[in-house]
Amino acid sequence: MQNKSEQKEKGQFVEVWEDIVSLKDLSLALVLCPFITMIAYFLAPNKGSFPLFYGLGGALIGFILCSMIVKPKRKFQQDKDEKEWI
Amino acid sequence: MDIGLITQMVLAAFMGTFLYTIIGIVPGTDETAVIAPVTLALVLSGMEPIVVLTFFMAAVIAHKLTDSVPVAVAGVPGGVMATPMVEHSMVLKTHGYSDMTIRKMISGSVIGTLVSVPASLLLASLLIPLANAIKSYANPIFFIGAIVLSLLSKNRWLALVIIFPFAFLIQGLRYLYWGIGVVPEGTNVFTSFFLGITIGPVVVTLLDLLNKEKRTSLVRHESKVLRFNQTNPFKGFPNPFKILTKRELLYSSLASILGSITFIFSAVGTTVLIGELFSKREKEPVKKASLAISCMEALANATYISGTLIPLIALGIPLSSVALGPAQPLFNAPPVFTQDHNMHHILSFGEITLAIVIGIGISLFITYYLVVKYSTQITAFVFKWIPHEAILGLFVALVVLLAYMDAGWMNIAGVLLVSLVAGTLHRWGINFGIQFMILYSAPWITSLFIR
Repeated sequence: MQNKSEQKEKGQFVEVWEDIVSLKDLSLALVLCPFITMIAYFLAPNKGSFPLFYGLGGALIGFILCSMIVKPKRKFQQDKDEKEWI
Repeated sequence: MDIGLITQMVLAAFMGTFLYTIIGIVPGTDETAVIAPVTLALVLSGMEPIVVLTFFMAAVIAHKLTDSVPVAVAGVPGGVMATPMVEHSMVLKTHGYSDMTIRKMISGSVIGTLVSVPASLLLASLLIPLANAIKSYANPIFFIGAIVLSLLSKNRWLALVIIFPFAFLIQGLRYLYWGIGVVPEGTNVFTSFFLGITIGPVVVTLLDLLNKEKRTSLVRHESKVLRFNQTNPFKGFPNPFKILTKRELLYSSLASILGSITFIFSAVGTTVLIGELFSKREKEPVKKASLAISCMEALANATYISGTLIPLIALGIPLSSVALGPAQPLFNAPPVFTQDHNMHHILSFGEITLAIVIGIGISLFITYYLVVKYSTQITAFVFKWIPHEAILGLFVALVVLLAYMDAGWMNIAGVLLVSLVAGTLHRWGINFGIQFMILYSAPWITSLFIR
């Protein structure tokens, strides 16, 4: 119990691949993107490189959907250069 | 050569440029993990090899130019190759020179590119007479390469111990697939194992999240606060030769030539080693940092260009850290490219040069202009709108797709296994170079034991 509230104070994000993510959003993205990709792959007409292209299209759609659903966890603060380069 | 093909090449160059200008800025994206799968997909799609090469060159240049932008703007490396520059650009940032950092970096990139393209073409033509000898010993060379890289790595004994077991894991899965009949006997599943190794470190971290003990003990973070620099817009078209001082110009050119000659070795390693060597003697902190970042950017480009071009033109086997990494699909993407039939065999010297000129030319021009003019805006856009979760989802989706295409559902588990082992090895300090060399020589290593 103690441990849980302590964690909440520190924040709820973990670091994966040098940036922070929320576990819930990450699970969503990791299910959604491959799922849409494979659906698109199997929907494609079975000739030549159609399945591959559909799959890539699916991956892109998944990526865009995730980008719309999930909010990035970065916050900004503006600094200004004090000096001009000599 | 017809107009249609040239148009396709130009379009491919634009596509590669825009896609990787954005991806380059995304923090933490490893070059191999982001460039190889897309290039691979294009190769497998049956696109003309010369168009794929144009796309690849444009992508590499755009990624190299933009991955250092967030370093200057927010102190976060956009890719592995930009990591050594963080320290130096922080020096410039604390002195209030972020604007100039970007301009120095990107001018260094331009110098690195302009120097290393002719240097690589020259080195490649010098190597051609030796090519046949090198090619006929490709397999033992990769095996010896794995041993040499192991000896040079952080955990050399651990790396040496792992060579045979890792080769057997790869061959073991291949024999399993043949035995069950998911792929015809003799067909080596390669692509998805390669990608598995590439995303290994991410997979291990993701699996850690499923481990209850690990998950509860993980460090939790608040939202990441990035300190942004308000940069001043640059008036007119910036001239890289004027942005760099005479000494920076000379040193970054020399560094690029050295970086091209040492094309076989790790791109990050070469960049750090030569970059630090060249800036060591300058004691004044701002001048030193400025010299270091211009040299390192030049080197980053030079190692990438030479590492791709020299093996591609002269050898036809991926004998460099870059060719084994992001450029891999140009050498090996069964069934389209194999070790005996890839871009090296299909394209002539003239065609390769044309692809380089179009790809690099377009990419360099656009990215240079965009970055010098709008670095802050682009970085802010990417950081504000592209969640890291979506990037991870995208790459996992690509790996799942290519794994399935290689050998069906079973191979998704197989690739997961390869990733788990590869990622753990990576954590232990056994770098990608060693792992890729083992992947290449696995059939040969196993054949030593056939009775």
